Amino acid sequence: MSETILEVDAVTMRFGGLVANENVSFAVGRGQIFAVIGPNGAGKTTLFNAITGIYQPTAGRVLFRGQEIVRGLGGGAVLRAVIVGLLTAFGLLVALHISDLWSKSIDDNYEYGEAFPYAAAVRSFFATLGGHFTGWGLVPVALGFVIGAAASFALSMNARRAPDLIARAGIARTFQNIRLFAELDLVENVLVGMDSRLKTGYWHALLRLPRFFHERRVATGKAMELLRFVELDKKAMERAKNLPYGHQRRLEIARALASEPQLLLLDEPAAGMNPAETVDLMRLIRKVRDRGVTVVLIEHHMRVVMGISDRIVVLQYGKKIAEGTPDEIKCDERCIEAYLGKEELG
Amino acid sequence: MEKEIEYLLQLLVTGLSNGMIIALVAIGYTMVYGIIELINWAHGDLCMLGAFLALTLIGLLGIDSWTGPLGFAGLALLLVTSALFCGTLNLAIDAVAYRPLRRAPKLTLLVTAIGVSFVLVNVGLFWGGLPMDVFSGGVAASAPKAFPPLVPATPLIGAEEGVRITLRDVLIVAVTLPLMLALWWLVRCTKLGKAMRAVAQNPTAASLMGIDTDRVVGATFFIGGALGGFGSVVYALNNGTISFQLGYRVGMDAFVAAVIGGIGSLPGAVLGGLLIGIARSMSDGYLETRWTNTLVFALLIVILIFRPSGLLGLRMKEKV
Amino acid sequence: MTRERLRGTRRTRSAWGGGRLALVLLLAALLLPAANHLVGDFGLLDPVKAIFLYAILGLGLNVVMGFTGLLHLGIAAFMAIGVYAFAILTADIYPFQLGFWPAMFLTLPIGAAAGFLLGAPTLGLRGDYLAIVTLGFGEITQDVLKNLDTITNGTQGINPVPPPTLPWFEHGDQGWMLTWYEFQKDAPLPWYYLFLALLVIIVVLNRNLEHSRIGRAWMSVREDDLASKAMGIPPVRTKILAFATAAALAAFAGGLWASSLSSSGEPANYDFQVSILALCIVIVGGMGNITGVLIGAIAVSGANDIVLQKLFEWMQQNGWTSTGSVFGSPNNWKFLMFGLALILMMRFKPDGLVPARRRKGGAPADPGPAAESSSHEEAA
Repeated sequence: MSETILEVDAVTMRFGGLVANENVSFAVGRGQIFAVIGPNGAGKTTLFNAITGIYQPTAGRVLFRGQEIVRGLGGGAVLRAVIVGLLTAFGLLVALHISDLWSKSIDDNYEYGEAFPYAAAVRSFFATLGGHFTGWGLVPVALGFVIGAAASFALSMNARRAPDLIARAGIARTFQNIRLFAELDLVENVLVGMDSRLKTGYWHALLRLPRFFHERRVATGKAMELLRFVELDKKAMERAKNLPYGHQRRLEIARALASEPQLLLLDEPAAGMNPAETVDLMRLIRKVRDRGVTVVLIEHHMRVVMGISDRIVVLQYGKKIAEGTPDEIKCDERCIEAYLGKEELG
Repeated sequence: MEKEIEYLLQLLVTGLSNGMIIALVAIGYTMVYGIIELINWAHGDLCMLGAFLALTLIGLLGIDSWTGPLGFAGLALLLVTSALFCGTLNLAIDAVAYRPLRRAPKLTLLVTAIGVSFVLVNVGLFWGGLPMDVFSGGVAASAPKAFPPLVPATPLIGAEEGVRITLRDVLIVAVTLPLMLALWWLVRCTKLGKAMRAVAQNPTAASLMGIDTDRVVGATFFIGGALGGFGSVVYALNNGTISFQLGYRVGMDAFVAAVIGGIGSLPGAVLGGLLIGIARSMSDGYLETRWTNTLVFALLIVILIFRPSGLLGLRMKEKV
Repeated sequence: MTRERLRGTRRTRSAWGGGRLALVLLLAALLLPAANHLVGDFGLLDPVKAIFLYAILGLGLNVVMGFTGLLHLGIAAFMAIGVYAFAILTADIYPFQLGFWPAMFLTLPIGAAAGFLLGAPTLGLRGDYLAIVTLGFGEITQDVLKNLDTITNGTQGINPVPPPTLPWFEHGDQGWMLTWYEFQKDAPLPWYYLFLALLVIIVVLNRNLEHSRIGRAWMSVREDDLASKAMGIPPVRTKILAFATAAALAAFAGGLWASSLSSSGEPANYDFQVSILALCIVIVGGMGNITGVLIGAIAVSGANDIVLQKLFEWMQQNGWTSTGSVFGSPNNWKFLMFGLALILMMRFKPDGLVPARRRKGGAPADPGPAAESSSHEEAA
């Protein structure tokens, strides 16, 4: 059996009074195509959002390759808070006495027409600053430290488990309502997906250094390769918003693959597709798996689900009601009753 | 020590009464934002025009020489006409300038609001140039105009030097508090209020349920404007001078108040307004007046760092 | 092979819409002084120089609003920081006296640092909240500059501030010598070409950023903030970079402004109205589009400073104004006309004047789905 790449462990999502997911647990093996199905409102997309960091689970956890993807609140965050606190305190002290500091260190030392004694000015600055560092003057310093440290800590807490962190860790996704970058063209959309793999930065771009051109060549090549993979390379320069619907879905997949993820979450990739497009999609998903990417998909198209999934988990009203291979699910009484109904299978 | 406490208390009193005025104007902002997500830049200038109207009426009808019960009637007249004027004007502006842009991106609406603001400011400038005594004969159109002290500043409770509550403070509370309660009742208990909340949360669904969203939005503009109109008269009475630029200052304070409280939240606007009023008076009293604006904004930033949606703001979870 | 084909098509399709126009503008700008001289001096060189500065300011704001889609109502604050930084670093009432070029160079990191400091705690906020906070930056900076008058000279401003200098060769007694030519107030031509050259450099740098990894990151934030995060783009860091870039450019424009006025002016000059002017330049021209910003600067600043000015002067000369009533002075109509222009513009041409390729039509705070796919969602 392959290793577990994704483990959803007793995840509960609560929004005020509404429980969207309740105690959902399952494990996805590396290299599998895993499907999450269920009637509308079963909490499937909410689960995806919980996995990818758009929501934080109210209870339970999500393990990727055996670990939770979180920024630690340990030493690093504390150190950052302390540093920010100290800087804020220093800044506040300087700000409160800036007029005095300026006149003592700069005005007093400045003789018109003579060279300015920078060393003496710096000495005066710290001397004056030290003079204010007593008695009641310490109150704003302490206040500044507290506010700065608390603010830094608050910001760290808010950013513990953010979507960009999870994406960079190796989980990519597509969206139920296609979320492309409409005004960018196809290559650019894919290049955005590739961002976490790019190395050059602001200055390389600004000054057009040689490394910029090299990476641009390599990255564009990779982007074209991905577009060829989803068979959209002929339209590489089109603006994303001009693509027909089915092509937009494929572009989203190419964009998601650009980050070289280990896990790809597809949210209703076959929505709105006709039977021919659906077959193409199934072929594409298999190709993705053959590239070494584990796929988890939400889908309503039973043909797709039954046709390509290795394992299926069924949700209803936020709870998991069944899990197994396609054959097992097909025959499962609860599933048939809840969801599959009279729909034609296979 | 007693003097210290008196000083503090007096600052609190001043802060609260100013804060109520800011709160009233802030409610107008927050209502419109809640319903169409527009930062109504022109709201402050609308209030300014309300104050100018009040001054004009004083000049035309000689209200500043009305005494006794007639004086109260005059005051009531000013308040009501200003409110009706501002409400109607706001409604008209929405119909002409904003309604055609319902589907437009928010930035387009914002820039339109800025344009409206400029137009209103210029109208205020012209208004100040009318050849009336109250406008100093229209000689210096851009200069601030004195607003007659219809309500005296003599203390009702307390002494001139100590903590005092004046007739003005009573007036402020007497006007703002019932209005806020009335608004609360409107939003919570009436059909219109329910419709307003529905449109604010989901305009598409609301219109599918048979709610005429345009009418509801119009009503919101009217009410928001009217509240601003009330507020502007009270502000003018409290402040003693008005100028065609007062929209910027009043608008800024109300704006910050609405945001601190959580934009879109009515109780938030009230809370924000009171906070700003108190913060301003504390800053004026203990620091220096010239740093008050900076302090207010610094307070805003600090609050938003810890509460990114404002104090009472709803953390909106976006449906993905 | 792919790259060449890509490069070819990209060049042909992308930049030419705006790029061609930009080249035309450049040509016009290069030839304007000659035209001015030949046809008759309309006194255009000074105001057009101002247009260049507004264009730089607009380009800075464009990085935040046009590329990244964030609403920024306080760009004037960073311009003011640049003005005063330049003034303090060069005026002789202060000890630094760094000279034109070093001080101008320093306005960039100073502006960027200010942008970073103000942005780091606040750029995680939602769009509308961020807008108010940027408004606050404008107010705070104005007040700080005014109140710290022992340092900044308060409402009196800092003067004099030196003009630009360029290396120059003079033929003296000992042959050719290197001196520094100082720009003169009454010789507008060197100013004009220097500012034009700086503008061109900034346009090129802007374009470099636009077509790069960071440019794409910015635009992804604008197009769909949520999807951008889901692709691994770090939101706050990306926004801070945009903010700091805008601040640096605004500060640079401020330094040039101070130099051209040979004074810092007073803090109240860099108020909300300047921020709104910059906002209008970006929007009127076409947000996100560099050429659009240039057109916007011409349209807005040109209309404001040149057309209106000349109109009023002409009206005054011909006795069309009166001092009796408030309606008589044309200056009193400025707000009204500007406001009406904005309203009409947003109503009928909200995407700006330049038909751009790279803009989303406004909406900095809208997440918005990428296409008209809503009908398809219900199918599932």
